Amino acid sequence: MLTFERYEMPATLPEALALWAEAPAGARLVAGATDILPWAREGRAGDVDLPLGIDLSRVAELRGYERHGARVRLGANTVWQDFLDDPRLARWLPVMPYCSVWFADDQIRQQATLAGNLVNASPAADGTPPVLALNGELELRRWAGDHIMCRTMRVEDFVTGPGATRLAPGEIVNSVTLDCTEGYGASFQKVGLRRSLVISVACVAALVKLDETGTRFEDVRLAMGGVGPVPERLRDIEDRLKGAALDARLIAEVAEAAAARVASRSRVEYRRRVVPGFVRAALEEAAERARTAPQAAGLKEALNA
Amino acid sequence: MPEMTLDMRVNGRKVTRRADPGQRLLDFLRDELNLTGTKEGCGAGECGTCSVFVDGKLVKSCLMPVAKAQGADIQTVEGLARPGELEAIQKAFHKTGASQCGYCIPGMVMAATSVLREAPEASLDEIKERMGGNICRCTGYSKIIEAVALARDVVTGRASPAVLEPEGVGDSYIGHNVRRLDAPSKVTGRLKYAGDMVMPGMLHMAVLRSPHPHAEIVSIDTSGAEAMEGVACVITADDVPGKDGFGVFVHDQPVMARGKVRHVGEAVAAIAAEDAATARRALAKIRVEYRELPGLFDPEDALKPGAPVIHDYAPDNVVKHIPIRKGDVDKGFAEADLILEDEFSTQQVEHAYLEPEAGLAYVDADDVVTVISPSQNITHHRHMLSEIIAKPINKVRFIMSPVGGGFGGKEDMIYQGMLALAAMKTDRPVRLVFTREESIIASAKRHPSRVKYRMGLKNDGRITAIRFEMLSDGGAYGMSSEGVMRKAAILSCGPYEVENLQVDTTAVYTNNTPSGAFRTFGGMQAQFATESMMDIAAERLGLDPFEIRRRNMMRAGSLTHTQQRLTSASIDRVLEAAEQASRWEPGPVGMRGPTRGDLGGPGTRAPCTLGARFETPKDSKERVA
Repeated sequence: MLTFERYEMPATLPEALALWAEAPAGARLVAGATDILPWAREGRAGDVDLPLGIDLSRVAELRGYERHGARVRLGANTVWQDFLDDPRLARWLPVMPYCSVWFADDQIRQQATLAGNLVNASPAADGTPPVLALNGELELRRWAGDHIMCRTMRVEDFVTGPGATRLAPGEIVNSVTLDCTEGYGASFQKVGLRRSLVISVACVAALVKLDETGTRFEDVRLAMGGVGPVPERLRDIEDRLKGAALDARLIAEVAEAAAARVASRSRVEYRRRVVPGFVRAALEEAAERARTAPQAAGLKEALNA
Repeated sequence: MPEMTLDMRVNGRKVTRRADPGQRLLDFLRDELNLTGTKEGCGAGECGTCSVFVDGKLVKSCLMPVAKAQGADIQTVEGLARPGELEAIQKAFHKTGASQCGYCIPGMVMAATSVLREAPEASLDEIKERMGGNICRCTGYSKIIEAVALARDVVTGRASPAVLEPEGVGDSYIGHNVRRLDAPSKVTGRLKYAGDMVMPGMLHMAVLRSPHPHAEIVSIDTSGAEAMEGVACVITADDVPGKDGFGVFVHDQPVMARGKVRHVGEAVAAIAAEDAATARRALAKIRVEYRELPGLFDPEDALKPGAPVIHDYAPDNVVKHIPIRKGDVDKGFAEADLILEDEFSTQQVEHAYLEPEAGLAYVDADDVVTVISPSQNITHHRHMLSEIIAKPINKVRFIMSPVGGGFGGKEDMIYQGMLALAAMKTDRPVRLVFTREESIIASAKRHPSRVKYRMGLKNDGRITAIRFEMLSDGGAYGMSSEGVMRKAAILSCGPYEVENLQVDTTAVYTNNTPSGAFRTFGGMQAQFATESMMDIAAERLGLDPFEIRRRNMMRAGSLTHTQQRLTSASIDRVLEAAEQASRWEPGPVGMRGPTRGDLGGPGTRAPCTLGARFETPKDSKERVA
């Protein structure tokens, strides 16, 4: 059971930062609340009484998103369902809908935020691999007495271990900025005990861009979660594929190599067995979608017109 | 607790309350507004019994601090249809028989409503995908999905609204769509389960549970909890006025641990307080001194000489041994062409009914101690409680509230005694609602069992003898173990006529969570072993798996394992139906080569995946991805 001595709903970022700067020890930021409520139960944290909860869901500056050239900046309150409901986001960030559909369930996605998933830094977080693949960067803000301090950090550097990040005291994630990958084919693969509401035993995010002939990899992005203390980008595999001809044997070969990356503390053998299949399926599916993506994008433009 | 003025529209009506902003929307709806159609099944976002619309979006109200709903438009199951009426989706649930225990149903109806609003053209796969956040344990989902598809067809004009109306039953109910009388109360959320019930002046109970599997209780000091403001009473085994002990067969379980604890999660003391949060906080003020004892965690260890004794009355740790003898097994094995030996084990299983245990007790004006709970065995509970509280039977009353799923797991009187004692001690109504975690830790489970199997067969597949030896982990208390062992023994060798058999089923005490009744009552564990043996035998003898069963099956005139003469038997028809339904290709295992035509046909469930929503063409909204 979770109780709060105080529960604040700041409406602006300066208010939120001021509250957070002055917050007593043990205070928590609350975004979607979909992780903190199950955390305060028997078997995990038990009954918890927090001195202060600062609910960020009404902070105006954290809402919305915009595109700046090749990057898409998402306000920290962007929720997972947005990637399924907003066609523009789906077009700019084609891996996100495929990840989102596997994320929790339709209802939790209405509340759970992308930023919250990154900050919780679970080794099995579904959200981190696609963000790594999209060169995700966080904007972190902090109240410094008379002004707001801002710094940016790559998500790859931000997540340091299970539940551990480089978030400094007083900092709030303001936004998540990602590569716009319009025209890429994408895939997200996940295995768990069931479909909905399941923590990944392993998950893989892949993005593929083909050259003009549709026969060679022009760009490949690949990241994996659930198989070690932190989700990882698989750059060695990306590099082997970039420029190479689309070839099932090559994909199978590089996929085998991914098994060596499994560094989990449990079910290592199982994970080593499933990972190559997932990497292969993700690359094949992303490549297939890359082949058909231009037509699909064109169709959507036509529908919008 | 902090307070904040909360303004929102709930089911079209303006609501303003001063309330704790950090409490869950679920608690606000249930406790402040008494909208109990929204249920709590897990409190962790896993089950969907608490689904509600907030500004048109379906969310899980157990995961939302109520402050997030400030100014919002909330719709609960009570707000879907006007009183006395049903929406199409509710009628469809009624029509297809989708509501069974009904506890998941308000949430299911809400999730289905969301599907019809968001994706009115959804395919069956998309319906399943979109409803993935809601769990049901009774139906296997088929009737629920059928209901959503039926409502979809009506809403989109593909079917006439008449399909939702009752069908005439003609001369016989058999073979006709017979409507459940209780469905309207379930699909509207009107039905009150025990945890939904309130009485004026009602207290809330919390239970202190053992952290140890086996320990002597040296002392319990309740003074700190007693002294807390808001605490009405603390009860322990010392408050039992009569003969303490309950159980389905042997009354070996005290209302609360008496002298020692025998499993993790056993009730040690209970507190009744003005609100549930106070009761839970007060638990931390009870001081219990334990002296840990060596524990038993494996049923084989329980039978070893010198093993710790869990119950004084059973120095050998045996709850029950059921032997069955028929014919002469030595002769049968001597006649066999093939003797197979193997071992089979099955694990502990939780019932996971959507409704966690809950009850409400009070003492009425005529001093009748009354307990309302979803008990699956109220008459037996009433007789046991009368002894425990030392009152004549006419001063003890049990009322069975709607059972939000039981499957055998609500046959044991694991909390009703505590409620009765607290109501008697305070003269006030007392309610206890288990958390999901509490339900899992304290309620009985399916017996984990090991079967040592020896089967003798002739080359033609006829069984000549079976030796079947089952050892089951009964856990810390007897509960239904005796009956489960008896049923396991009776069904042990399956629906096959075996002339020579030797069957022993034994349940032993350990310090694991008690095992009790669970659907099939021991049959499942036995059949897993027997049917596996039949398949192994078929493979070894080069026989078709159906054929080996036909050669051994019971018929009219057969003598059962317990030597009852059958006047009829239906397994021949069952086998025939299964063979046809599966489009079985006859022949021994391994004779078909690499491919077989009877796999993956119509009616076979496709592998689980997600993404159906990306495939469905949809006119009204652009599809993403």
